[in-house]
Amino acid sequence: MSMKEQKMTSSQNKKSMINMEWIQKYSTFVVLILMFVGFAISIDRFATIFNLTNILQQISILTIVGCGLTFGFAAKEIDLSVGYTVGLAGILVPMLLVNGFDVWFALSAGMAAGLVVGVTNGLLVTKVGIPSLIATLAIGSVLFGINFLLTGGRAIYGGLPDSFLFLGQGRIMGVPILAFFMLGAVVLAWFVMERTVFGRYIYAVGGNQKAAELSGVRIVFYRTAALAIVALFAAAAGALLAARLGSGQPNVGERYLLDGLATVFIGMTMFRPGTATILGTFCGALFIGIIDNGLNLIGMDTYVQNIVKGIVILVAVAIVSRTTSLKLL
Amino acid sequence: MSVKLANIVKDFPGGRALNNVNVVFGFDEIHGLIGENGAGKSTLVNILGGSLAPSHGEILIEGNAVKLTTPRLALLHGIAHVSQEGSLVPQLTGAENILLGAEPRRLGGVLRHQELMEQANSLLHKWFPEVSISLDQPVGELDVADRKIIEIVRALRGDTSILILDEPTAALQSREKMQLWEIIRSLPARGVGVVLISHFLSEIKQLSDRITVLRDGEHVDTLGAGDTTESGLVDLMLRRSADEGAVFKKKPSQPVGKTTVLEVNDWKAGKVDVPEFSLKAGEIVGLIGLTGAGHFGFARSLYSRQGLLSGTVRICGKDVAGNVREMQRNGVAFVPDHRMENALMPDGSVTENLSMVHSSFAANHGVLNLAAEKTEVMRIVDLLNIKLNNRNQLVRELSGGNKQKVSLGKWLYGAADRYRVMIFIEPTEGVDIGAKQEIYRQIRALAEQGVGVLIASSDLLEIEQVTQRVVPFVHGRPGKSIPAEEFSEARFIGALTGEAA
Repeated sequence: MSMKEQKMTSSQNKKSMINMEWIQKYSTFVVLILMFVGFAISIDRFATIFNLTNILQQISILTIVGCGLTFGFAAKEIDLSVGYTVGLAGILVPMLLVNGFDVWFALSAGMAAGLVVGVTNGLLVTKVGIPSLIATLAIGSVLFGINFLLTGGRAIYGGLPDSFLFLGQGRIMGVPILAFFMLGAVVLAWFVMERTVFGRYIYAVGGNQKAAELSGVRIVFYRTAALAIVALFAAAAGALLAARLGSGQPNVGERYLLDGLATVFIGMTMFRPGTATILGTFCGALFIGIIDNGLNLIGMDTYVQNIVKGIVILVAVAIVSRTTSLKLL
Repeated sequence: MSVKLANIVKDFPGGRALNNVNVVFGFDEIHGLIGENGAGKSTLVNILGGSLAPSHGEILIEGNAVKLTTPRLALLHGIAHVSQEGSLVPQLTGAENILLGAEPRRLGGVLRHQELMEQANSLLHKWFPEVSISLDQPVGELDVADRKIIEIVRALRGDTSILILDEPTAALQSREKMQLWEIIRSLPARGVGVVLISHFLSEIKQLSDRITVLRDGEHVDTLGAGDTTESGLVDLMLRRSADEGAVFKKKPSQPVGKTTVLEVNDWKAGKVDVPEFSLKAGEIVGLIGLTGAGHFGFARSLYSRQGLLSGTVRICGKDVAGNVREMQRNGVAFVPDHRMENALMPDGSVTENLSMVHSSFAANHGVLNLAAEKTEVMRIVDLLNIKLNNRNQLVRELSGGNKQKVSLGKWLYGAADRYRVMIFIEPTEGVDIGAKQEIYRQIRALAEQGVGVLIASSDLLEIEQVTQRVVPFVHGRPGKSIPAEEFSEARFIGALTGEAA
C-alpha cells in the first residue's frame, strides 16, 4: 500500500470514527426528540401547553433527585437509600408544619435531616469502608423503618400553610412553581459540576480514585460530599413532594429510587457516554416524563409503565456498559 | 516436533508490540527468550499461551495451523503458561491447586478428597521425584519456591508439550534457584519443551539450548546457546541503542547543585530497607533492581508512605511527616508506573486529566477560570508535544506515549516552578521512541531548573542515558552507588545479580 493510500484510509477511518462518536453522544437525544414528535403527532392532547407544563411539573421532583444522584455517580458512589430520604423529608416537613413550626424552619429541618443521612452514608463508605451499594441499602432499610414509626403508617395532612402548598401546586403565568425549582436545581448542580474545582474533584474521585489520591485530592472528603449532596437534593425533593401532594406520606418516596437511577443511566448514554452529567440526567428525566405521560394519555396501565421503564433502564445500562469502559460498582 | 509462530504481528492501541516475528519452539529443547522491557517477550508468550490473539500471522503445531484464542484452547494443544505473577488460589491446598478444574468427583460434583491427594501427589512425584512439598496445606502458607513448583506441576498435569516459564526464578533464593534449574533441565528429555523468559542472562545462557532475542517487537536472532556469550547477547538486545543514541546523545555531565533537596534516613517500608539516601538539586538518580528488589517500593513509599514502618524524609532540609498532600505542598511530584491505574482518568478529557493536580490553578473562590485553564492546557500540550485532536479528547483514546505525557504533564500544569523533587517510576513504560525522547528532554530540563529527579526504572538503557548516578537495589536494600563514568549494561546487571562486573 502506498503512502497516499494509507493516508486516505486513515482519514476515512477518522471520518467514520467521528460519526461513531456522534452517534454515541447524541443517539439517545435523537430518540428523545423522535419520541416527543411521535407522541405529538399521534396523541392530540400531548402537545398542548397544558400537558407540556404538566410534564414539567411531573418531572420536577424526579429531576431534583436525579441531579443529586448524578453527584453520586460522578464520584462512582450509588445511593440506594435516596427514595427513603425523599420520604423522610416528605414526612418531617409537614409534620413540623402541622405542629405549628414556620415554613422556613420546617424546610431547614428537612434539609438537615437529609444532610445527616447523606453524611452518615458517606462516612460508612469512606471511613468504615462499606461499599456504597451495601451501606445505602442498609440505611434505606433503617429510614424505611423510621418513616413508618414517625407516621404510624398514616398520612399527615390538614393544616398545612398555603405558602407551603403554593411551592408544590402554584403556578406563575401558567408555569408550575416546581418547574422553577427544577430549573434552579439543574443550573446550580450544573454550575457546581462543570464550573468549579469542587466538581472537578468529584469527577476525579469517580474517574480514577487511585489517581486522584496520588494527585493529592482528598478522596474521603469528596466521596463523603458526593453522598451528602445526593441526600440533600433528595430531602429538597421530599419537601417539595409533600407540598405538591398536600400531605406527608410514608411510602411515596420509594419510586424515586428506580426512576432517579433511570434518569442518571439514560443520561449516561449521551453527551459524555459513560459519565453522569447534569445535562444528561435532565434529558433522562425528560425521557422518563415523556414516556410516562405519553403512555398515560394512551391509557396504558401504570404497571405497564413500570415494565417499560425497567426495559428502558436495561437498554440504557447495556448501551453504556458495552460502549464505554464504565464499571458500575 | 515443534510449534511454529509464523509472521506474528500484534498491534495495541498504543503501537505495534510485535512486528513479523518468526520463531520455532521445539518440544525437545529449552528455548530462552530475551529482550529488554517492552521488547515483546510477554506479548509473544501470551500469544503462544492463548491469552492474546495476534493481529496477523499464524501458529502451526507440527505444520498444522491452530487457533489458540483462549488459554484453555492452548492447553488442549499442549501449551501451558506459568506466568511471572503466579496464578494459584492462595486459600486452596497444593493438591487442590494442582488439579484445579480437573478434580476427581463423584456423581453430582462432590469432591473425592482422598483421590485428589493421591493424584496430586503422584503428579508431583512423577515430575519431581526429589521434591517434597506438603500438598494438604493452603498454598498461601507455602514459600515462593514451593508455590512455583506447584504451578509447574499443574501446568504439566495434562498432555503438555510446551511449557512457558516467565521469570520463574525472579523471586527465588540461589539454593532454590538451583533446584528449579535441575527441574527445568530435566523436562526436554521427557518430551516437554520449555520457553524460558528471564532477566538473568547467565541463567538463560546456562539453561537454554537455543536463544531468541527480541528488540522493540522485532525478531533479532535465534542462536545456539553455545555459539554466543553473555556480552554477545547484551549486544543483540541493545544494538538499537546505536541509532537511538544518535538522537539522544549522552549528556555532558551536567553540573549538580550543592543543596540537598531530598534526604531519607532509616527508611523501612515492607521489605524495603534504606539506611540513608540523598538527592541534590539538579541531580538525576536512577534506581534499578530486579523484580521485587524494592527499588519501586522505595520510590513509591517515599511519596505515599504506603507500608511505612519507620523513617524520616527531609525536603530541602525540612522534615516532612505527612503523606501525599504534605509531600506535594513541599514540592514533591510523583509520576507513577501503570499510568492507567495510578495516574489517569481514562474516560476523562485531556483537560480534566491535566488539571487534576492543580485544579484550582487560576480559579477564583473555587470557580474555574476556563479561559486561563485552556491557555495553560495548551501550554502543556505544546511543551510536551502531546498529539491530540482537541483538548477535550478522552485520554483513553491517546497513544501510550501521549498518555504518559499527560501523566507527566498534569504535574507541570499550573505548577510554575514549585517542585524540588520529582519521583518517576517507569517513566517510559510502553512508550514509543519519539515520546521517550520528549520525556527524557523534559526530565533533563527539570533537572536544569534545579529539580532533583529520582527515576526507578527497569529499562537499563534509559537509566544509562538519562541518569547521572545509579543506586542498585538487591533484596530491598540499596547497594553502592554507581557513578556515571562506570555506566554500562554489564556493570548494572552485575550489580543487580550480585555478580562481579
